[in-house]
Amino acid sequence: MRRRLLLVTILVGGLALAALSPAPIAGQGQAYSPPRLADGQPDLQGTYDLATLTPLERPNGMNAVLSREEVAKLEGAVAAVVALGARPSSGERAAPPKGGDGSRGAAGNVGGYNSFWLDPGSTFTMVNGEARTSIVVDPSDGRLPPLTPAARQRLGALLARPSAENDPGLDPTPGAYDDPERRPLGERCLLGFGSAAGPPALPNYFYNNLRKIVQTPDRIVILNEMVHDVRVIRMNAQHLPSHIRKWAGDSVGRWEGDTLVVDTTNFNADQIRYVVAVAPGRTLMMVESIGAEEQDRLSGPGKDLHVIERFTRVGEKALLYRFTIEDPGTWERPWTGEFTWPATDQPIYEYACHEANYALENILRGARQRDAEATKR
Amino acid sequence: MSHLAAKVASTLVAVAAGAMLALIAVPVVGQAPASVPRLATGRPDLNGVWQALNEANFDIQMHAARPAMALRAGPHGQVPVASVLALGAVGAVPPGVGVVEGDALPYLPDALKTKRENQANWLTRDPEIKCYLPGVPRATYMPYPFQIVHSESSLLIAYEYAGAVRDVFMKDPGPAPVDSWMGQSVGRWDGDTLVVDVTGFNDQTWFDRSGNFHSDALHVVERYTRTSRDVIAYEATIEDPKVFTRSWKMSMALYRRQESNAQLMDFKCVEFVEELMFGQWRKNPLSR
Amino acid sequence: MRMKLPIVAVGALALTAAAPAMAHHAFGGEFDSTRPVLLKGPIVKVEWVNPHTWIHMEVKKPDGGTEVWMIEGGSPNSLLRQGITKNSLPIGTEIVVDGYQARDHTLKRANGRNITYPDGRKLFFGSSGTGAPRDGADPTEKEPGR
Repeated sequence: MRRRLLLVTILVGGLALAALSPAPIAGQGQAYSPPRLADGQPDLQGTYDLATLTPLERPNGMNAVLSREEVAKLEGAVAAVVALGARPSSGERAAPPKGGDGSRGAAGNVGGYNSFWLDPGSTFTMVNGEARTSIVVDPSDGRLPPLTPAARQRLGALLARPSAENDPGLDPTPGAYDDPERRPLGERCLLGFGSAAGPPALPNYFYNNLRKIVQTPDRIVILNEMVHDVRVIRMNAQHLPSHIRKWAGDSVGRWEGDTLVVDTTNFNADQIRYVVAVAPGRTLMMVESIGAEEQDRLSGPGKDLHVIERFTRVGEKALLYRFTIEDPGTWERPWTGEFTWPATDQPIYEYACHEANYALENILRGARQRDAEATKR
Repeated sequence: MSHLAAKVASTLVAVAAGAMLALIAVPVVGQAPASVPRLATGRPDLNGVWQALNEANFDIQMHAARPAMALRAGPHGQVPVASVLALGAVGAVPPGVGVVEGDALPYLPDALKTKRENQANWLTRDPEIKCYLPGVPRATYMPYPFQIVHSESSLLIAYEYAGAVRDVFMKDPGPAPVDSWMGQSVGRWDGDTLVVDVTGFNDQTWFDRSGNFHSDALHVVERYTRTSRDVIAYEATIEDPKVFTRSWKMSMALYRRQESNAQLMDFKCVEFVEELMFGQWRKNPLSR
Repeated sequence: MRMKLPIVAVGALALTAAAPAMAHHAFGGEFDSTRPVLLKGPIVKVEWVNPHTWIHMEVKKPDGGTEVWMIEGGSPNSLLRQGITKNSLPIGTEIVVDGYQARDHTLKRANGRNITYPDGRKLFFGSSGTGAPRDGADPTEKEPGR
C-alpha cells in the first residue's frame, strides 16, 4: 500500500515537474525518487554518452560555473568551429606542406584526419542545474592537487615530452618506439585511450564515449565502448587478494541509500595515471604502462591506486557520477570529480581494436626506418 | 442427490480433476522445471558464470585424437610441425564426440577446399592464435568461463577469452550497419527459451581450430534453455549460403561454475601475442 | 572574469581538433611530415574497422599503371551513430586525399588528413561537437597537470 502511494506521488510529482522543465529534476527543490527494480534498488540501467565540453581541469580565469549567457556563447562558438570544419575544401588543392602542416598534439604535424570522424560533445555538463567548467570539484579550484616528489621523478620522462604547444610530432623520449610494450595502452589496443575503461570513467573529448549499465542484485556491469571492456562490479563482495591485478582493477559495490558506491583496487602495478594537456585548456587523463625495468625500480605506482565511484540516478535520463581518486604515490592528496551521464538512445557498436591494429605496425616499422636512416648518416 | 449418484458424481469430479492436474503436470515443451530461478518478469533467470565442457574448440565434429593441430608427414604417419614440436603432448589434439547434430558439415565443394587449406595453414590462419575475437558460436565453447548478466530489461554476455562481449538487443534495431567480429545479437523469448538471432558478421572468425569457417553471410540462431539450476541446454543453428549447402545445428550443455568465488578474470591476451605479431619490428628483435 | 571565446582559425585549428589521442604523438610516429601526398582516384575497398577506418584507393602512377594506397581515417562508430553504413562509400567513388605518407616508405599508406570528393565537399558531415581548444589566444595560459 505504501509502495503504491509512493508510486502515485512519483507519478504526480514527475508530471508536475516535467511540465516545468525536461531537464533532470534533482536540485530543483524536490527529492527525485528513481524507478526501482524488483529488489527495491534504484534502476541505474541505460546507455549513456559521456561526451562533454567540460574539461577535466578548470581552464585559467574561469569560474566554477558558467552563466546561461556564457554557456550559450561558448557552445555556439564551438558549434561555429564545427561548421567551419565541415565547409568544403578545394578539389584542386595541393598536397600539404613538406615539413609538416604545423598541427599540434596528437595530430603530429601531419594533420591527423578530418573532424567529421569525431564526436567530442557539444554541451557543458550540468550538475544540480549548474554548467560546470571542470570535472574536478575538489580541490575547489578545479585543478588536480600537486604531484608527489616521487611521482614527479617517475613521470619526469613523460612530463618532459613536448607539450601540445611545441610538439614536433615525434616523441623524443629515448626508446619510445623500441618495442610495442613501450607504446601507450591505447595504441596497443589494451585499453581505450584516456580513461575510457576507467575507473574513473572520463570523457576523452574525441569519440565513442558511450557506456551501458546492466544491473542485477549481485552483479552490476558497465560496458565501455572502447575497447569493448566490461567492468563487472561484484556486489557486497570482498576484493581479490593483492597479488591478483587487473587492467581495470577489481570492483566491489554496495548501496548507500539510493547511491551505488563502487570501490576499486588491484590495478596492474605497471599502470600510471597522469594528466596531459591535449589542447590549451583541455586536459586528458592518460593511462599508460611503464616498462618492466622502471616498474621494478619504482615498485609499481599503480598498485596503490584506489578509486571510489558513486552513481546516483538524478532524473529519467541522467545519472550523477562522482569519483574520488586516492593514489598516495602520485598525488599529494585525494581528489574528486563529478559530472552527469546523460542517457542516449544510440547503441554501442563493436570496437574491435587489436583485430585491425595496422597503426601499431606502421608506427614500429616507421621507427625502424628512422633507425636505419640514422645509421646511414 | 442419492448416495450412489453423489458417489458417482464425486468420482467423476475426481477423475476430471485428476485429468486436469495431469494436463497441468505435463510439461509444455521448453518449460523449465521449478528448480530454475526466475526473474520478477517470470522469465528464467540466466544469470551466472557458465562454461562448456567439451572438445568442440579443437574440432566441432567427432574426431579421434591426433598428434598436433599443425602436422607434417613423418616416416610412419603424421608428426607435429617443427614450430610446435617442443610442446609435446601439450600440443596434442584430444578426441571429442562432437557437437554437430548428424556430425556432417554440408560444405559447398569450393568451401570444403578452403577448409582443407585452413587446416594446412592453421598457424597462420586461425584467428585464435592472434587472440582475435572468437565470433559466435565459437565464443560459447571456448574452454573458458563466460558470464551472463540478465536483468529485467537487458541481457549481456561477457566472455573471459579476449574480453569478448555481446550486448543482446531485446528490441530489433534493424540490419547491422557494418560487419563485426561478434555480430549483432537480437533476443526474444520463446516460452522459457531465449532465442538469439545473430547477423552482421564479418568473414574473419572460425568455428574451431580445425579450419571450419564461414563467410560474411553467416546467420546464427541460438537457443538458451536453463533446464536446471546448473545447466543451460544450448543450441546454435548455422546458416551460410556462401559456404554450406543447407543449415546445420550444434548442441551442448553449458554448466554453471560452482565455485563460490566464480568470476571472470582478465584474459585479454592481446599483450601475450605482441612478440608474435610485432616482435620482428623491435629495435632489437629476439631470435625467432 | 574576462570571458574567452574560442578563436576561429580555419585550417590548423580545425585539424588540431581533428586529431585523436590514441596516444599523443601517434600520428607523428606513424606518418612522415617530409613526405606529403596528394592522391586522386576511385575507392577500391573500405575497411570499416577500429581503431581506424582504412579506405583503399587506386591511384595512377606517374610512369603509368596504377597502385593501391591505404588511407587512414578515424573510428567509424560515431559515423554509424549518424546513419552511415558499409554501403555509404560505394566502390568506385572518386575521392581526393591530401596527407602524408607512412614513415616506412615501403608502405603505400597515408593519413587521411583531408578526404573530400573531387568538388571539395568533405566525405561526411560528422556530429555537431568539436574538440576545439577553449581559447588559443592567451599565451600566458598555463597548461594544467604539470
